[in-house]
Amino acid sequence: MSGRGDRLIRLADDARILSQGDCEAIAKRVFAFASGPGETIVNVMSWWNGELRWARNRTTLASDRRDIRLEIWRDVGVGRGNVSTNQLDDVSLQDAVRAAERSASLAPMVRRPTPTHPPLPDPERPKTAIWSDATYAVTPESRGEAARALIAPAEAKGMQSAGYLEMRAGSRARLSSVRMGTTTPAPWDVPYTAWTQAQCSMTVRDAEGSGSGWAGLSSYDWSHIDAAALAARALDKCVASQHPVTLEPGRYTVILEPQAVCELVSIIATSMYRETPEFGIGPWVLGRDDVLGLWRTKLGLKVLDERITISHDPADPLLGIFPEPWMEPLTWFDKGVLTNLSFLRDYALEKLNVNAPRRGLTGYRMSGGQTSVEEMISSTTRGLLISHFSNIRLLDATSLLSTGLTRDGLWLIEHGKISKSVKNLRFTESPLFAFNSIEQMGVPVPVFRPVKNPYTQEEPLTPAIVPPIKSRDFSFTSTIDAI
Amino acid sequence: MSLNRRLFLKSGVAAAALAAIPRPLYAQFDGAPEPLPPIEDPRLASLAARALDAARGAGATYADVRLTHTRTRRFFPLFTYDDEDMEVGVRALLDGYWGFASGPVWSPDEMARLGREAVHQAKTNALGKPRLVTLAPAPVVKNGSWTMPVQIDPFEISPFEVQDHLASLDIFTRRTPNVGLTKNVAQSTMQEKAFASTSGSYCTQRSYLTMGDLVVGVYLPKTKQQTDLALDCVSAAGLGWELYAAPTLPRVRVHSLRDEILLRLEEAKQDAMLPVKALDVGRFDAVLDDSSMAGLLDGTIGHATELDRAMGFEANAGGTSYINDPIGMLGTYQAGAPLLSVSANRSEAGGAATTKWDDEGVAPDDFPLVKDGMLVDFQTTRESASWLSDAYARHHAPVRSHGCASAPSGVDAPMQHVPNLALAPGREASDFDGLVSGMTDGIAIKRASLDMDFQNGSGLGLGSVFEVKKGKRVARYPSAGFLFRSTELWKSLLSISNAAQLRRIGFDAQKGEPPQTCYHSVTAAPAVVKQLTLIDPLRKA
Repeated sequence: MSGRGDRLIRLADDARILSQGDCEAIAKRVFAFASGPGETIVNVMSWWNGELRWARNRTTLASDRRDIRLEIWRDVGVGRGNVSTNQLDDVSLQDAVRAAERSASLAPMVRRPTPTHPPLPDPERPKTAIWSDATYAVTPESRGEAARALIAPAEAKGMQSAGYLEMRAGSRARLSSVRMGTTTPAPWDVPYTAWTQAQCSMTVRDAEGSGSGWAGLSSYDWSHIDAAALAARALDKCVASQHPVTLEPGRYTVILEPQAVCELVSIIATSMYRETPEFGIGPWVLGRDDVLGLWRTKLGLKVLDERITISHDPADPLLGIFPEPWMEPLTWFDKGVLTNLSFLRDYALEKLNVNAPRRGLTGYRMSGGQTSVEEMISSTTRGLLISHFSNIRLLDATSLLSTGLTRDGLWLIEHGKISKSVKNLRFTESPLFAFNSIEQMGVPVPVFRPVKNPYTQEEPLTPAIVPPIKSRDFSFTSTIDAI
Repeated sequence: MSLNRRLFLKSGVAAAALAAIPRPLYAQFDGAPEPLPPIEDPRLASLAARALDAARGAGATYADVRLTHTRTRRFFPLFTYDDEDMEVGVRALLDGYWGFASGPVWSPDEMARLGREAVHQAKTNALGKPRLVTLAPAPVVKNGSWTMPVQIDPFEISPFEVQDHLASLDIFTRRTPNVGLTKNVAQSTMQEKAFASTSGSYCTQRSYLTMGDLVVGVYLPKTKQQTDLALDCVSAAGLGWELYAAPTLPRVRVHSLRDEILLRLEEAKQDAMLPVKALDVGRFDAVLDDSSMAGLLDGTIGHATELDRAMGFEANAGGTSYINDPIGMLGTYQAGAPLLSVSANRSEAGGAATTKWDDEGVAPDDFPLVKDGMLVDFQTTRESASWLSDAYARHHAPVRSHGCASAPSGVDAPMQHVPNLALAPGREASDFDGLVSGMTDGIAIKRASLDMDFQNGSGLGLGSVFEVKKGKRVARYPSAGFLFRSTELWKSLLSISNAAQLRRIGFDAQKGEPPQTCYHSVTAAPAVVKQLTLIDPLRKA
C-alpha cells in the first residue's frame, strides 16, 4: 500500500494546470489498468481560475480555484463504458477503469463507428493563438492592485463600481490506447492543448441608481486588455446616463456601439446551419421547389447589406479560436452574400461526398467602414445611441425577429448632438432588418465575448471583432424602468 | 464478464452491486489513499480542521471549509452516464475581505495549502481601503448530521430499472398516432457535504436532487408541424426516483406520470379545438394558472428580494433590483395587494433548495418576504443579514441569517441563492377552470414563460392565451404576450385559489461571476389579476 500517495497529483502553484508530460503519464497509467483487449480512451482536463469580484467599490471575493476532470471510455466486446472522476491516484484510476469496464459489459453506450469512406481529410489542426504567458503570470497581488486602480476613479466621483476580473488557464488531451505514440492520430484524438483566457468587465452606477455604465473586454491575452480605458469608459457612461428621460417607443435611427452589434450578430450566428433550411426551417429558406421536390436555400444570395463581410481565420492572432480539426479560414457572409453554412458529418457524407463536418461560426471578424461614432452622431438629426443589449430572446425563427432590452447607456441624439439620457427601451426587431438598413459603419474592434470553459459541454461564446453601425428604423416597442 | 443484463435484473443483490459500481474515489487521511468513507466518518472532521487551523494560523479572523462528494447519474432510455467528484473549498475572512481557494484533493497537506491560500487571496485585497464585515450570529452546530429523506434512493436501485422506466414512457406515449417523446432524460444528484467553521460548527449532510426533461411531441401531418408539450411535474425537486415512480406526489402531481401525459395530451387537444381569434390588444382581467403564477412569483419577488442583488452586488452580472433601497423599503414598501403573502423556506419536503444547514452552517428558518402585501424581509446570509441591522432594529426583529448561502459544490464559493418560495393560498375554492367560470369577460393564460428586465421590475410574458366570455374559454390567441410591471401586477391581484390548488415547480437560477446555477422550488396557486396588458409580441413599432 505504501507509495500510493506518491502518485497523488496536485495542481501546485508553479504548475496550476497539467503539463503534456502529466497528461501522457496519466493516460499510460490508465491504459495499463485495462484488464483486457479493447480500446481505452482518456480525456484529461485540468483548469485554474484566478478571480476577483468587486461591488460597491470594494473587493467582495478573491479566489483561486483548480480542478481536474478525467473521462475514461473502455471498450469491452461490442460495448463501451464511460465514467468520469476527478481523482488521479493509482487506486482511484484502477477503480475507475474497472467501473468503466463493468459499465461497458452491462449498460453499454450505443457506439456508432465513424465512417472511413470517403477517406477522412487530413486531421491537422490549425495553429491558433490561445496561450498567453502574460495571462498565466498574473498573481493575486497584481490582480488586487488592478482592481483597486479600476475602482478608484469611480469612487473618487462618488459612484458605485461593481466588476469582475478573471484569469484562467486550462489544458486538455484526449488520448487513445491504440493510437498514442503512433504517427497517425485520429481526428477525434486531441493532442495536448493548453489555453488561457482573461476577462475584465465592470458596471458603474451612481448612488441613487439613476445612471449606469458598463464596459468590458475579453481576450486570451491579458496584455490585450486596457483595463484603465474600460474603467474610464464605464464611468463616463454612468455619468452621462444619469437622470434619464422617458422617450416614446417607436422607430429610431440607431447608432449601435460594437458590443451591441456583436449581440445582434449572435442571433444570426445561432442559425448558421445548412441542414435546417433544406427542411424548410429557419431564415435561410428561399422557398419550395415543387419541380425538384426540395427546399431552395439562400446560399449565394445577398441577404445583408453589401458592406458586411463576416469571416473567420483560425490563425487570426487577435481572435484566439480553439483549434479543431478541419478548421479552415472561411467567409460566412461575403459582401452581404450568404456564402457558407455549417453542417454535420452526416450531411457531408450524404450530400457532399465529404467525410468531415464544417464547424459553425466560432469567432469572427466583421467588416466595417471608416466613420467614427462621433461622426455618426454629428450626421444624425434624430436617433439613439446604444451601448449594449441585454436579455435578448428569439421570437420567430424564420425572420429572426427578437426582443431584448437596451442596458447601461442609451442616449437621444438631436441635430448632431447627444441631447439627453433616455430610459431603457424594449426592442422588437430582426438583426436581418437592422443589417439591411445600414447607413454608416466604423472601424471594427474586439468586444467582450468571454470564452466559457471550451472543453466542457457549455456552449462557448466566441471572440469577435465588430464595427459600430448606424442603422435606420430600428423598432422599439415599450419603455422599461430598469436602469 | 459473463454477466448479462437479464441476469442482473433477476438478482436484486447483483442490482445493488451494479448500482454501487462507479465509486472510484479515495480520500487521504494520513498518507495512503483509502476508499472514500461515508460523510459521517469522524476522520473527515479532522481533515476539515486542518484547513481551518491553517487559515487561522495565517491570520484569518473567520474561516470555513466545505468538503463535497457529488455523484451525478444521468439516465437515458438506453444508457446511463455516471459522474463523480470530490471537491474542497476554503473561505477565509481577513480585515473585512474574503478569500477563497478550492481544489479536488482531499488530503491533509492539501487542506493546509487551501487554508493558507484562501487567506493569501484575502490579504491581497485587505491592503486597500478598509471594509467592514459583520457576521450575523448563528448558533454553533456541534457534530450535526442529516440525510434528506427520499422514498427511492436513485443510487440504490438498478440503473436498468430507471432506463426501463424511461423506455416504457416512450412506448406508452407512442401508442397514440403521431405522438412521441421529443425529450426523455432524467438526472439524479446526491451530494454529501461536510461543513466546518472556525465558529466551532461541524455538520455533515446528504441531499438529493432529481429532475427530468420530459417533452411530448405531437406531429400534425396536415401542417407538417410539431408541437412540443413539456411536463413540469418532473422539474427539479429534492426527491429521489419517486419523482417519476410514485403514483402521486403531493403538490406536484395528482396522477401517475403516464396519466399526466395523457391528460396533457387531452388538454392540448381541447385547447387546439378552440377557434383562433385575431388579437385584441388592450387591458383585460386575466386568470393565471399555477405554472404562470409560480413563474411570475419567481421572476419578480423571488429575485428582487435577494438582498445582495438589491444592494448592488450583482450589478455587473444579472442586474440589480426594483426594490432598490432595502433598508428604507423594509416594512414600508407595498409590494402587492393585501391578498399577497409570500414566504421563503429551505425546509419543505421535496423542495429543490431544501437543506438542514446552509453553506455557512446556519439552520435556515421559514420566513415571510411579503406579508399582506407589505415587503417585510429579504433573503440573507450571515454577512448580508447585518446590512439590514438598522431596519431590523426599527422593526424589533433580530439580526439573523435566513440561511440562504449555497453553491453547487465545494469548488464554488458560497453565495446567496434563492430559497424555496411559497405563495400563501387564498380563499377561492376553485381551480384554474373554476376561476375561468367565474369570469364574464377577460383572458386566461396557461404556462407563461417570462422575460424579465435586469431589475426584475417589469417583464414580457409569452404563453397560451385564451379569450374568456361568460365563464368559458371561447377562443385562443396563437400569438399573444403580456406586459407587466411587477408591483402593479401584484397590486392588481383579485383572488387566489385555496391551499388545495397549490402546486410546486422547480426552477434553476444562475447568479454571480463566475456564474453558478442553483435550484429552488416555487409553490403557487392559480389566481385572477385585473387589467393585464395584452400585446402582440411579434408586432414591430
